[in-house]
Amino acid sequence: MNPIVSARGVGKQVSTAAGGLTILDDISFDIQAGESIAVVGVSGSGKSTLLGLLAGLDVPSSGTINLVGECLNELDEDGRARLRGEQVGFVFQSFQLLPSLTALENVMLPLELAGAERAEAQAAQLLERVGLGSRLSHYPKQLSGGEQQRVAIARAFAMQPAVLFADEPTGNLDAVTGQTINELLFALNAEQGTTLVLVTHDEKLAVRCSRQIRLDAGKVVADEA
Amino acid sequence: MRPSPGSRFRLAWRLLRRDWRAGELRILLSALVIAVTATTAISFFTDRLQQAMVNQSSELLGGDLQLSAPRPIDSRWLDEARVQGLAHTRVLEFPSVVVAGENFQLAGIKAVAEGFPLRGTLRTAWVPYGEEQQADGLPAAGEAWVEARLLPLLGIGVGDTLELGSLTLRVTRVLTFEPGGNGNFASLAPRVLIGHDDLVRAAVVRPGSRVSYQYYFAGDEEALKRFTRWLEPQLEPSQRLMDVREGRPSVGSALDRAEQYLGLASLVAVLLAGVAIAMGARRYSERHFDVTAVMRCLGAAQRDILGLFLPQLLLLGLIGSAAGVAAGYLTQFGLFHLLRELLPAELPAPGMTPVLIGFLTGMTVLAGFALPPVLRLRQVPALRVLRRELAPMPLRGWLVYGAALLAMGLLMWRYTGSAQLTLSVIGGTLLALLILGLFAFGLLRASRSLHRGVGVAWRFGLNNLWRRPVLSVSQILAFGLTLMAMALITLVRGDLLSTWQTSLPDEAPNHFVVNVVPERVDAFRGFLDARQIESAGLYPMVRGRLAEVNGIAIREFVSDEEGGRGALNRELNLTWGDVLPEDNRLVEGEWFSAEDEGRKIVSIEAGLARRMGIALGDELTFSFGSATLTATVTSLRTVQWDSFRPNFFMIFPPGVLDPFPGTWMTSFYLPDERKGELAQMLRQFPAVTVIDLDRIMEQVRRILKQVTLAVEYVLVFVLLAGFAVLYAALQASLDERLYEGALLRTLGASRRQLRAGHLAEYALLGALAGLFAAGGAELTAFILYSQVFELDYAFKWWLWLSLPPIGAVLIGAAGFQGTRRVVRESPLRVLNDL
Repeated sequence: MNPIVSARGVGKQVSTAAGGLTILDDISFDIQAGESIAVVGVSGSGKSTLLGLLAGLDVPSSGTINLVGECLNELDEDGRARLRGEQVGFVFQSFQLLPSLTALENVMLPLELAGAERAEAQAAQLLERVGLGSRLSHYPKQLSGGEQQRVAIARAFAMQPAVLFADEPTGNLDAVTGQTINELLFALNAEQGTTLVLVTHDEKLAVRCSRQIRLDAGKVVADEA
Repeated sequence: MRPSPGSRFRLAWRLLRRDWRAGELRILLSALVIAVTATTAISFFTDRLQQAMVNQSSELLGGDLQLSAPRPIDSRWLDEARVQGLAHTRVLEFPSVVVAGENFQLAGIKAVAEGFPLRGTLRTAWVPYGEEQQADGLPAAGEAWVEARLLPLLGIGVGDTLELGSLTLRVTRVLTFEPGGNGNFASLAPRVLIGHDDLVRAAVVRPGSRVSYQYYFAGDEEALKRFTRWLEPQLEPSQRLMDVREGRPSVGSALDRAEQYLGLASLVAVLLAGVAIAMGARRYSERHFDVTAVMRCLGAAQRDILGLFLPQLLLLGLIGSAAGVAAGYLTQFGLFHLLRELLPAELPAPGMTPVLIGFLTGMTVLAGFALPPVLRLRQVPALRVLRRELAPMPLRGWLVYGAALLAMGLLMWRYTGSAQLTLSVIGGTLLALLILGLFAFGLLRASRSLHRGVGVAWRFGLNNLWRRPVLSVSQILAFGLTLMAMALITLVRGDLLSTWQTSLPDEAPNHFVVNVVPERVDAFRGFLDARQIESAGLYPMVRGRLAEVNGIAIREFVSDEEGGRGALNRELNLTWGDVLPEDNRLVEGEWFSAEDEGRKIVSIEAGLARRMGIALGDELTFSFGSATLTATVTSLRTVQWDSFRPNFFMIFPPGVLDPFPGTWMTSFYLPDERKGELAQMLRQFPAVTVIDLDRIMEQVRRILKQVTLAVEYVLVFVLLAGFAVLYAALQASLDERLYEGALLRTLGASRRQLRAGHLAEYALLGALAGLFAAGGAELTAFILYSQVFELDYAFKWWLWLSLPPIGAVLIGAAGFQGTRRVVRESPLRVLNDL
């Protein structure tokens, strides 16, 4: 079976005032469909950069990345945007909801961008599923942090993505709320059979995943199931 | 799968509505509305004016062709018109004083012959300002139809009588509209319409009187063309043939000027609004970076992003333009109201062109100033969702300024219709902005010395100004120029007339009397002496035209561009005398001696000689109807034109002009309380024309006041646009200010301290703008006064005293109001939000 995500010799260098800086160095691994992966490591180890590269938000300085059968290196920015829209879902630490849209409209957005017919009904159904059926017309500002993240999760699953990328999904939430968000994330992941790639420094969250990839100073130091 | 255009548009609409509710679009939209309102109001105004002229031009002209001449035309020309099958009639027009009891008034007399008007109709009412109706026929013998405003001036009503020369006329109707009314001097005075036959009996027109003869022709187009072709080569320079196209009545050069100023002022408003729009769009774009990044992350392609934001811009443009057009439509009524006395009483409803122009202006300004920042959204990287500091590449300078320049160039080109003028205006403006910007920057730098010796809050506020020098300089420019324009208008309106009046000696002549017939000159002199009215002396006056210089026809001798032409197209007043007039000074040659009597020599005014290139010894040929006279220039002299004494371009020795018909003129001073004596003068000398300078000055002052009021009215838009710039600048720095304010308050700064800081910042900005305006107004006024008005200029200390505080109060209050949020919102909320 072909891996759904594969990284081969991926490196990322940026130039700074003090000269070149290597953020990621020669990273290679495969992720099979249906797996749940936790990318762990201390602050500055390159976790978020790796997530951005795997999801096609950025391009590596060296190496190749394949995502759902397409080589990201060969796509231009609009091509990667299309791939993201069709195959990828995101959940961010800072929620990244559009403040000018209601909860319902936020969930509808990816559906509308893809030209879906029944965007509103689907979005409402998803919000019902994450327990926000009564708050469809609320704006992000009117929702608590946990509620905002639930809207973000509903939005991430709206397109029934092949891969869901989550960047510290509970980083901005208290422990209790974080716990319920985690439950929701794993439950939806199981329901839809999505591949989950999540970046966290929460070890308790990491062990719930089927596999942990540990980064240190831009290198994979452990890859264990 | 791609989103349908419909769903994308719906999304765009939804985002726009939300942005509106969140107040994100206020500045963009209000600046747009200001720009469109200013241009549309002016367009509506000029459009209605022009339409009125085009629609009624034939009717206004009174015929298909009008020939005006200073003397009766060759009767063979009328025979030719008859041969060609054209109808014709004639009209005499001249200024004359009419008297009723003790009251008298300079009026524009129009004597009309049977058949007038050949096109259009006269309209009259039975009572002043009563219901207007078409008049059948013309005033009967012994009757006069007068303009309503004459009646109160004479203290009479319809049915009463007035005197014109030796004639007593009964006012039978109020004249409300007359075809063929030209905007010349005589028509500034209220109109009196009489029958042609009465004119002969009134005995007010003598050979040499200042009369305009107008001949009207009407007929089919071919005949008119044939007649015109036949007539044109025979016309003398002082005769003017007008057809319907040329026959637009001039509503006075004051109004033309006003139209130009209004147009320019509206362009300035558009430019300032454009700056506000650019600032607003930039902030709008920056505040949408995050949203765009999320959308990119969710799979939106670059063209999806454009597909989302461009319709929003389009919608915004349409809404803003529509609101601006509506506001402009309402605004033009105000303009018409302010200028009502200078305008035709009836105006057609405005057409659709101004609406179109309004929308075009709105869209052009938006495209020029808002499109570049919005286009930048396309470049927002999706990775920004993870790394917030990632912003799209800043726009290239040429793109931003190029688009803005192009937009302004297009608008200006539409307005001026000349590419060359547009380019030079834009070039000049850029250069001026650069110099003025450096000046403003210098002011800003100089103000840094304030830094020492103020408290922390003030220092913080003032630092805000110096930290963003480009923004501060542009605001000083925007407000400084607006304040300067307003100060200049006020200055010119108030100063010009009063300076003019005070520069005259107290007893400068305030009345001119012309048309004193030669046989009554002694009697007239006796009349003045008996009443101890001191005159500037009686001068003979013969009307003639300069036809040739050294045997070369004047048309060829002087090109159009040269200055002498104006004086040549009309008849000149020629005089004779053996004494050099009091305020004339000989600059070249010699004055006439006793032996020169009857010699064909002439003394010419030095300025005219210089403009035309005439030197001592040149031979000038004058024509007097069919007769001519050639004389040699023997002296040049300067003339003090503003002395209000009779002044002449050409003076001959006694005896030379005797063969030609002439009248005499003089000027004298008569105080207000003795004006009643003029009525006696007019009874005794019915043929003379008294020109009351006080009243003319009063009229000029009224016109000037109205025109400046109208210009000020439009300057309000400039001021509003200036405020839009201020508001946009406030908005642009608001996030930063909110953050700083929250931090300062967290660190223990009180609201009072923050407020004091904001007040200091904006009051200083306003004061600097006021200082800039005072300097600019002083310099401009000095140049205007010394170069254009030729008046002495006095230093305007009050500008320096008043403008900086006015600026400080205006801008300080506006800035204080605009930054209220910074002190009102809780620091926690601000820090959480950002």
